[in-house]
Amino acid sequence: MPENTTDLPPFVRSWAQLYAIVIGCLVLEMLLFYGLMRWLS
Amino acid sequence: MSVLDWVVLTVTLAGIILYGILRSRGSRSMDDYLLAGQSLPWYHVGLSVMATQASAITFLSTPGQGFADGMRFVQFYFGLPLAMVVLSVTFVPIFHRLKVFTAYEFLEDRFDARVRTLTAGLFLLQRGLSTGLSIYAPAIILSTILGWNIYLTNLLMGGIVLIYTVTGGTKAISHTHLQQMVIITLAMGIAGYLTVKLLPEGIGFVDALHVAGKAGRVNLIDLKFDPNSRYNIWSGLIGGFFLQLSYFGTDQSQVGRYLTGETIGQSRLGLLMNGLLKVPMQFLILLVGVLVFVFYQFNPSPTFFNKQETDRLKASPYARQYQLAEIKHQNLTTQRQKAVIDMQAALKTDDEAAQNVASNTLHETDDALKTVKADVAKLIKQNNPAADTNDVNYIFLRFVLDYLPHGLIGLLIAVIFIASMGSIASAYNSLASTTVVDVYKRLINSKCSDTQYVAISRWSTIGWGIFCIVVAQFANQLGSMIEAVNILGSLFYGVILGVFVVAFYVKSIGGGATFWAAIIAEVLVVASWYFDLTAFLWLNVIGCLLVVGIAWILQRTIYR
Repeated sequence: MPENTTDLPPFVRSWAQLYAIVIGCLVLEMLLFYGLMRWLS
Repeated sequence: MSVLDWVVLTVTLAGIILYGILRSRGSRSMDDYLLAGQSLPWYHVGLSVMATQASAITFLSTPGQGFADGMRFVQFYFGLPLAMVVLSVTFVPIFHRLKVFTAYEFLEDRFDARVRTLTAGLFLLQRGLSTGLSIYAPAIILSTILGWNIYLTNLLMGGIVLIYTVTGGTKAISHTHLQQMVIITLAMGIAGYLTVKLLPEGIGFVDALHVAGKAGRVNLIDLKFDPNSRYNIWSGLIGGFFLQLSYFGTDQSQVGRYLTGETIGQSRLGLLMNGLLKVPMQFLILLVGVLVFVFYQFNPSPTFFNKQETDRLKASPYARQYQLAEIKHQNLTTQRQKAVIDMQAALKTDDEAAQNVASNTLHETDDALKTVKADVAKLIKQNNPAADTNDVNYIFLRFVLDYLPHGLIGLLIAVIFIASMGSIASAYNSLASTTVVDVYKRLINSKCSDTQYVAISRWSTIGWGIFCIVVAQFANQLGSMIEAVNILGSLFYGVILGVFVVAFYVKSIGGGATFWAAIIAEVLVVASWYFDLTAFLWLNVIGCLLVVGIAWILQRTIYR
């Protein structure tokens, strides 16, 4: 099975960058959840 | 259920079965039948992985969890995106490059045939029994609420999925997963929208969120490190990471899904899509439960959501005590209704003092209602010792049947079937592929043609389907078997993960040390359980650490 960067979404340059986006989204979600909880409590 | 509901349910299920059969015609080789010809794009892989993990219980229990315990359960999934990254870096390229059909084939390449056979055997035992439970768990809820025969519901749950799993194999499963996820998302979205619409005049979505927040249901993040608290950010990130890594990395029902990717990149993208979407998806399902909670703040709620048990209580010697509990419950719900209206008014006028008073009353009534419910649960247990006193799984379905329009009820019952079919189909397929690839082809007959192996895979799928349905039928008769199957899972999962951890990360350890370490660890794990040394969930961690530790010692002493 070939592994190449053509599988990457157009706005991403490397797999490492995509992994960083996934982890970054998780951090962002946690911050949003925290903010939502504080706002509504 | 009305005629319209039956029509919607039948048409939806028949549509999925037909679609699965039509889209998978021509699966004649092993590669086609077990891995969909490794031809699927990332979104197919991603949705298939998600549909396999989301069982019927996800859509029955999670909204109930949001209702009863708030949204803190979402933290359980925080480790999943991290596990997806580790899998994409380590597991996916290795499995793809070795062109394996099952995760256990890799173990022979890394160690030897003994380790492969042992791990495959442990998987078959665990997955076979737990799939029986996956059939039984939603079937018992549907049969209780809708008055269906449990044996027939078990047969339907486990049987209809066999039609397209046997004929179409992995290709059928992946194609139906895509369709299933679309229907599930649509139906849950409509259910959430209608729940907001059912709220009293002048109460919108944001108002509902405020009420939920003040009632302590938007408890999304708990930063406190407490080993006794089941859901906090640390148990989610650390415990969740290990749990998801073992599930997605070593369980063939998931490995078989992402091996269908056209390239390593497509498999990776599918897993990363799951990493991006899983937390928001769980958040939204919990949110539906929280909205149902808000709805019941303005409307009378049942004392206990499992109506069959309360009906039994009404006809029992405990009827008078139950009646008193119901009166107490009604008074409390009236008190709660007043508090929530006061709260709404205080929120509109931005009166913080009045908000705090109303919030305290809301918490107090909530606690008092929980006490009444616990008393009713005690009565139920006294009346029927075999009764399930946890009604969390019944909350959402009870709400759907009592308040949502006909047609949508049929669609939501179909969602429960569909979700169940999604995970059961993957389980049947993984059991068949492991049986054929790791047992039959490896140990019994390696000289069959591709067509013969596909035929054996089909028969193996049928055989496992029958086995799992039989397990489900026994689970119905023996209540304690549910716990027994969960314990059995914990007895084997940690050891399997330990073997894979050694395979991937401790290159200096060979097959002999790993094989005997797995055997010794399994004996010790079983002994820990037998002598009741620890809660069974911890056996997963103990099993994994024991395999790694013992294998390391054996490699440095006997196998050096």
